[in-house]
Amino acid sequence: MNVFIGLINGMIASCTPILLAALGGSLTYYAGIFNIAMEGMMLSGAFFAVLGSYYFQSWPLGILFAILGALLMALIFILFSVVLKVDEFVTGIGLNLFSLGITTYLLRQIFKVKGAFANPDIVPIPRLHIPLIADIPILGRILSGQNLIIYITVLATILTWYLVFKTRFGLRLRAAGYNRTCLDTSGVSANRIRIWSLLICGVLCGLAGTFLSLGYVTLFSENMSAGRGWISLAAVILVSGHPVGIALISLLFGFSDGLGLYLQSVLPSQFTSMVPYVATLIALFVYSVRKRKQAALEIAGG
Amino acid sequence: MKRKILINVAGVLIAMLLGAVTMLVQGYNPLETYGALFDYSLGNGYSLAITLRNSVPLILTGLSASIAFASGPVNLGQPGQLVMGALLTTICGLYIDLPPVLMIPLLICAAILGGALWSGIAALLKGLFNMSEFITTLMLNFVADYFTYWAITHPLFEKGALHPQTPLISRNGWMPEIGDFNTNVIVMFLAFIVAWFIFNRTTSGYEWRISGQNSLFARLGGVKVDKNYYLVMLLTGALAGLAGGLIIMSGPHRFIKGLGANYAWDGIMVAMVANNGIIATLLYGVFFGILQTGSLGMELITAVPSELITVLQAVIVLIVVAGRGSFEILAGKLAARKKMKERST
Repeated sequence: MNVFIGLINGMIASCTPILLAALGGSLTYYAGIFNIAMEGMMLSGAFFAVLGSYYFQSWPLGILFAILGALLMALIFILFSVVLKVDEFVTGIGLNLFSLGITTYLLRQIFKVKGAFANPDIVPIPRLHIPLIADIPILGRILSGQNLIIYITVLATILTWYLVFKTRFGLRLRAAGYNRTCLDTSGVSANRIRIWSLLICGVLCGLAGTFLSLGYVTLFSENMSAGRGWISLAAVILVSGHPVGIALISLLFGFSDGLGLYLQSVLPSQFTSMVPYVATLIALFVYSVRKRKQAALEIAGG
Repeated sequence: MKRKILINVAGVLIAMLLGAVTMLVQGYNPLETYGALFDYSLGNGYSLAITLRNSVPLILTGLSASIAFASGPVNLGQPGQLVMGALLTTICGLYIDLPPVLMIPLLICAAILGGALWSGIAALLKGLFNMSEFITTLMLNFVADYFTYWAITHPLFEKGALHPQTPLISRNGWMPEIGDFNTNVIVMFLAFIVAWFIFNRTTSGYEWRISGQNSLFARLGGVKVDKNYYLVMLLTGALAGLAGGLIIMSGPHRFIKGLGANYAWDGIMVAMVANNGIIATLLYGVFFGILQTGSLGMELITAVPSELITVLQAVIVLIVVAGRGSFEILAGKLAARKKMKERST
C-alpha cells in the first residue's frame, strides 16, 4: 500500500510543473500564439524563486520573485513577437537561450557557484495539512499533506477552464486565435488579448518554476527545467489546448515519470530518466494514429 | 546585399553595446573585457587556430539547421544527432584500428552514419505515422543524451576514471595537426562545399528550396515532397553527426560526460541569426566561435564570468532577427509612401 501511495504522490508531484506550464500554453494556444518559450519562463521562475526565498528567507517572496522573473521573460516575448512582430518560433528559441544564459550567468555572479546552488537558508514551499481530510485512511495521505503549489495547480486548472469557456475574456481569447481580423474589426484589440494571454502564461510558468526549485527539491541547478517546457508544449498540442485534456495528459506524463523512478531498481537510471520523453513520443504516436483513423472514417462516411 | 550586411553588423554592434552596458553596471571595464575576448580568440596564430577548430561544430550544426529550416523540415535534433555521431565514432575508434589513411575516413563515415541514423528515426516517424518532427526530434535529443550517458557510464566506461568517460580512441583516428591548425577545418570546409553545392546547384537542392518557400506550390509543380523530406532529414542529421565525430577526433579524443551539453542549441542559434543562409551560417559560425573561444580568455584576464557570452549570443540572435524584421517593415512603409507621392503628382 505504501508503494502505491508513494507512486500516486510521485505522479502528482512530477505532473505539477508540466501541468502548470501547459495551462499557460493552453491560453496562448487559444490566442493563436505559437508559444515555445514555456521552457525559458519556467527556468527563469525556478531561479528567481530560489533568489527570493534565499535573500528574504521567506517562501511567499520566493513565489513572488519567481512570478516576476517569469513575467520578465513574458515581457521580452511580448516585446519581440507582438510589438516588433518577430517570428514567434525564433523569439521562443531566442528567449529559451536567453533564459538559460542569464540564469547560468546570475548563478555564477550572485551565488558564486557553478552547476547548482543549495543552501539551508533557502526556505521551501510548505506542505499543507488539511485537518479533517488528513484522517481519512488512504485518501488522506494523498489529498492532504501535499505541497501548497499542488493545491494552487488544481485551482489553476479549474480557473483556466472557467476563464477560457465561461468568461468574456475567454471568448475573445478564442476569437483572437480563430480569426484575429474579425476580432479587431469588432472593436477588440487582438494584440491586447494576446499580451494578456502571454502575461498569464508567464505567471503560471513562474509557479511551475517555483515548484521545481522550492517544492520538488530545494535548490537551483543549471538548466533544471530539463525539457519539461517542451513536454508541456507537446501536451498542449496533443489535446488542442483543452485545459481538462491537459490535466489528464499531464497526469499521464507524471505517471510515466513516477514509473521511471520506480523502475530504477531494475534498469540503469539513465534509461529510467528517458521514460517521460519516450512517453511523449508514444502519446504523439497514439494521437496521430487516432487522427488518421478519424480522417479515414470521415472520408468513408462523407 | 549591402543592406543585409548593414543590418547584421548593426544588430551585432547594438547587442555588444548592450553587453558593454551590462558590464559597466557590474563594475567591469567593457573595453578591456572585449579587448581580452578578441585578443584571446584572434590575437596570434595559435589562438586563431584554436578558434577555427572550435567553430567547426558550430558551423556544421548551423548548416544542418539552416538547410533543414530553409527546406521545410523543422529538424531541432542537432544536439541528439551530434552526440549519436560522436558515440558511433568513439565506438569505432575504440574497437577498430587501421592505418590513418583508412581510419580517418572510416571514423568520419561512422559520425555521418550516427547522425543520419538518429534523424532518420524522426523522419520515419513522420513518414509512417505523420508525427511532427518538431516534437519528435526534440524528444529524441533527450533520449540520445541519456543513452550516450549510459553508454559511457557502463559498457564503454574507462576503468578507474573519476567521471563517466570512455578510454582514448586509437591514435590513428586522431585528426592530424599541421602546425597549430587542426585538419578538422578542412573536413568541415569540404562538407560545407558539398552542402552548398547540393543546396544551390542540384535539382534536389532546387526542389528543397522551393518546398521550403511554398510546399503546396512545390507539390503541385511535381516535386516529390516525401522523398525530399527524407533526403533533407538524412543530410541534416549527417551534418550534425559529422560535427560530433569531428569533436571526438580533434578535441578530447574520447567521449566525456556533458560533451553534448556544450553544443546543445548552438546550431539552431546560428541558423536563426543567419536567417538560414548558407554563407551567413559559415560567417556567424566563425563569429560565435570567436566569442566562445574568447570568453575563456575574458574570464582569465578580467574576471568577467565566461557565461556572459551565452547571454550575449542570445541577445545578438534576438536583436539581429528583430532588426531584420523591423527594417523590412520600415523599408516597405517608405516604398509605399514614395508610391503614394508618385501617384498624387
